[in-house]
Parts: sequence; C-alpha cells; structure tokens
Amino acid sequence: MEIQAKTGIKQSGFKGRLSRIGKRFYRERELWTINFFALAWVLIFAYGPMYGIIYSFYNYIPGRSLSHSKFVGLKYYIEFFTLPDVWLIIRNTLVISSLGLTIGFIAPIILALLMNEIRNIKFKRLIQTITYLPHFVSWIVVASIIFTLLGSEGAINDALMKMGIIHEPLKILGEGEYFWALLTSANLWKGIGWASIIYIAAIAGVDQELYQAGAVDGLGRFGMAWHITLPGIRSTVLLLFILGIGTLLNAGFEQQLLLGTPTTRDYHEVIDTYVYRYGIQQGRYSFATAVGFMSSVLGLVLVLITNKFSKKLTGMSII
Amino acid sequence: MRAVYVKNTTAGRIFDFFNIAFMIILAFVMLYPFWNQFILSLNEGKDATRGGLYFWPRAFTWDNYTYMFNKGNLGKGAIISVLRVVVGTVTTLFCSGLLAYITTVKWYSGRRFTRVLFLITLYFSGGLIPTYLLFNQLHLMETFTVYWLPGLFSAYYMLLISSYMYNLPEALSESARIDGAGELRIYVQIIAPMCIPVFAAVAVFSAVSHWNSWFDVMLYNSSGKWDTLQVYLRKILLDVEQMSKLMDEQRQIEGMRKLTSASIRAATTVIVTLPIILSYPFMQKYFMSGITIGAVKE
Repeated sequence: MEIQAKTGIKQSGFKGRLSRIGKRFYRERELWTINFFALAWVLIFAYGPMYGIIYSFYNYIPGRSLSHSKFVGLKYYIEFFTLPDVWLIIRNTLVISSLGLTIGFIAPIILALLMNEIRNIKFKRLIQTITYLPHFVSWIVVASIIFTLLGSEGAINDALMKMGIIHEPLKILGEGEYFWALLTSANLWKGIGWASIIYIAAIAGVDQELYQAGAVDGLGRFGMAWHITLPGIRSTVLLLFILGIGTLLNAGFEQQLLLGTPTTRDYHEVIDTYVYRYGIQQGRYSFATAVGFMSSVLGLVLVLITNKFSKKLTGMSII
Repeated sequence: MRAVYVKNTTAGRIFDFFNIAFMIILAFVMLYPFWNQFILSLNEGKDATRGGLYFWPRAFTWDNYTYMFNKGNLGKGAIISVLRVVVGTVTTLFCSGLLAYITTVKWYSGRRFTRVLFLITLYFSGGLIPTYLLFNQLHLMETFTVYWLPGLFSAYYMLLISSYMYNLPEALSESARIDGAGELRIYVQIIAPMCIPVFAAVAVFSAVSHWNSWFDVMLYNSSGKWDTLQVYLRKILLDVEQMSKLMDEQRQIEGMRKLTSASIRAATTVIVTLPIILSYPFMQKYFMSGITIGAVKE
C-alpha cells in the first residue's frame, strides 16, 4: 500500500501483485537476511527435534537411516503400558508434583503474607534477599549441601546426637520412604523465596484505600490481612494454582537424578528420569522417544485446558 | 510501601515478636548450609570427621583447595565454565535481542510469522531423546559449540526484550532509517543502548543458567574434555570410582593425608557457589526488573 502511495500507479493482475511482493521483499531485504539466520536456527534446533519424534514409530538404530529402519507403528506406545514399573513411575510423578502443588504452593503464600507484616523495610528487604539466594545455585550444589548436612556424620545428626535427642544417626539419605519428604523439603528450601516474589508484588498492588477504609471500619491488623490482603491476591493465587496443575507431569528432573540413589528408585523415578534412563543410558531411543512424546502431549493438553479454565475464572492466561 | 493505618495491639506485638523470630530462623536455615560447607572446606578433613564443627573451622587449612586446584583439574574446569558463561550470554543476548528487534519493526511483513514460530517452541519441544539424536547427527557431541549454539535464540528472552522495545519511541529508528542506517546498525547503535536495563536482566538470567547447567554437559560432553565446574562437583558427589581414584592419588602425596572426600567436596562446592554469591548484589539489582518485565508481557 505504501508503494502504491509512492508510485501513484495501481498495478493490477498477477504480475502487478508479484512485483508488489517483490518490492516489499526488496524493501525488507535486510530484515529478511537477519531473519533468515533466526528461522534457519529455529527450524534446526527447535523443529528438528519435533520431527525426530517420528523415530518413535520406527525401530530406530543410530547410524542407520530412517528408510532402512523398520516401521513399527504404535508398538512402543503400547509397550510402555505393559511394563511392570509403569504405574510406579506414574505414581511417583503424581505424588511428587502433588506435594509441590500443596505444600510447595501454600508455603510461599504464607511467607509473603508474613513478610508483608514486617514493618522495618530494611529488615524485610534483607530477609527477602536471603530467601531467594538458594534459587540461584545449581541442584548439584544443593545436593552436595544435603549430602554433607544430612549424612550420618553431618552437622544435623551430630548436633541432634550431642543434644541427646537421638542416639544413632538418622539415615535420611538413601532411604526410599523418606525420599518424598526429602525432595519436597529440598524443593521448598530452594524455591520458597523465589516463588514468594510474585505474591509480594501482588500484595504491593492491593489498593491502599481499602486499608484506609478497613481502618475506618475498625479492622485490626489480622482482620486486614484476612479480609483485604488475602482477597486482594486471590486472583494471582488462583491463576498460579491453575497453571500449576498444567505442569503436573513435570515433577522435576535434576533433583531426582542427583538426590536419588539405586535404593530409592521405587520412589524417585519419574517419567522424565525414566526417559533418560531408557533412552540415553540403555540406548532404547525409539521407546524412550515414545514415552517422552506421550508425556509432553499430555502435558500440553493439560496446559491448554488449565489455561482455558484460568481465562474463564480469572480473566488471565499465559497463552 | 504500605502505610500503617492501625495502632499496634498487644496481640500484634506478640505476633511481631514471633514473626521476626521466625524470619531470623528462616534466614539462618537459608544461609547456614552455605556457611557449613565453607567452614568444612577450610578444615582438615580427618579432623572434621570427629564432628562438632558448627560455626568455625577448628583445624584450619588451605589443603582442600590447593589439592583440588593442583590435582583435580579444577582450574581447567573453572576456565571452561567462565568461557561458557561469557560466550553463551553474549551470543544469546545479541541474537535474541536482534530477533526481538526485527519482530518489533511494525511494517515488517515477516514479523508475526517469526514471532509465532518462536512462541510455539515455548509450549512444545521434541523432547530429550530426539534432541540428543539430532545433536549427534549434527556432530555437536564433544564440542564447546553445544554450550552456546542450541541457546542462541531464545523465545523467552525474545518476549522479555521485545516487550521492552515496544515502549521505545518509533521515531528513533525511523529517523535513523531515513538517514540511511542499516537495520543491524540501528539495532546495535540505537535500540540496544536504550535496552540496557532489560539486557542486564536477561544477561543475569542467562549467565546464572549457563553457570549452573550440568545436565547438558553430561549428555553431550560425556568424555570430560569440556567439563565445567558443576560437572566436577557432580563427579566428586556421585562417582565412587572417581572418588577412590582421587583418594588413591592422595595417599601417595605426603602431607595430603588429612583430606577426606567430604572436605574436598566442600571445597569444590564453595568454589562453584562463590561466583554466584559474589555477584549476588549486582544480580539483585537487575533480576527484579527482569521479573516485572516478564509479568507485564501481554
């Protein structure tokens, strides 16, 4: 249209249209050149692996081309459900992420509410800064810290024994039955401060006049927290909870690999670590691709559903 | 901040007391594990097994560090880690910023298409195994390239940066265009300098994630040629074999007998964590702005 305005001549027909597109491309040639690299990259590195999902329908052996591999259809998809440990893995995935969605979800809200009650701003800032420090260290560092602190010679066992509370070191690591508690605590330690930021921001956004009005109506501090602050962040809480349901199948990955030991396998193995173990470690590429694909499709469906739900309930969504 | 509209009652004061006590305990729980590693790393390993080490090293020594740097190849790991952070962050900043720029040029016809193509990747990916097989086919295994090339353009960073660029006055780039400046030049000389705050936030995110990532190192550089610090720590943490090899070497060296696997591990943990803690005040300044930018994305 801009070209039309410049030349003043209206070109018609196929030829005219082609030359308009050509002119437009010419004008945008620099942008297209830059974009060429970005598009090439995204096609290779993001859409390439998506194409690779096709391996899950073949009996793929590395080094052999796909046309020489045997097409097996849904064999690996069905095989997954016939394996004995499938329900164990689904159970672990759901239990671990549910713990995250309950304890791991409520704790940051409570922390944000408590922080809001600190009147000394400097002290509040300091506490905030300290609580999200663990978010910035790697899971390897966290695992190393946990192994040191909770090991049989670690500071915690040592202190408890000196105080006479226990007589033998607690064996927390490597015990299957404690694993979920250990993992949830570790997730909490690493994530609580970071997760509380969004609630603190939401609390800061609550209308100040409401507090004034509350004071006029004789509300005390706790009344204000309960009747004004909490309802004020309700939609944020709801949104994050709904979105949390969308990530139900992602129960974490690095932490399980690092904190889990062969003795805790029945408790730590989740879908993602299963894919890694079968795919990379045992070289069953097609089978592991099938499992991973199923899980990510289910995950995507969950995200889409919860997103719709959230739009209806809170008017907010991420897509 | 919130003004105080209510006089504090007795119940309120009691609550304040417990609240502050709780916060102090919480801060202790967050910080002490790091401190514990720190004092262990400065204590003789053999001495530490006696227990009772809580707040201060008892038998002070630098041996754990000197041993790790001399024998454990830690210096090499540190160089690779730093190189990865620098190369990875600089390339992803430049490229994701450029991508953000071209998707904010309002008259550009490929704008929507490009944006959508990248946004899809936020919600769906091929998964671990197809990615692994692809990198294998592309001969990215056992190379340094695998650390920065797959993260070159990030849809997430594009979103953050472009939401900032939308707010810049269009007249700036338009007038430069009329003066005959090329797109690359407009991006580098006009747009990028105005986006420093968002670039700083993205740089913090990117640098931290590069510094902390270890799984891709394990996956794609399993031979150990390009091992980063994190992977050294993991090896000490999990590989019994690696550890016993270290311990055997140790016993041959006179004067290094007082080391234990725990003390060496503590020293390595401190080395891996220290850069994060040292740059924390700087990061603190920028990541909050990064989060708030993320929160207002359309």
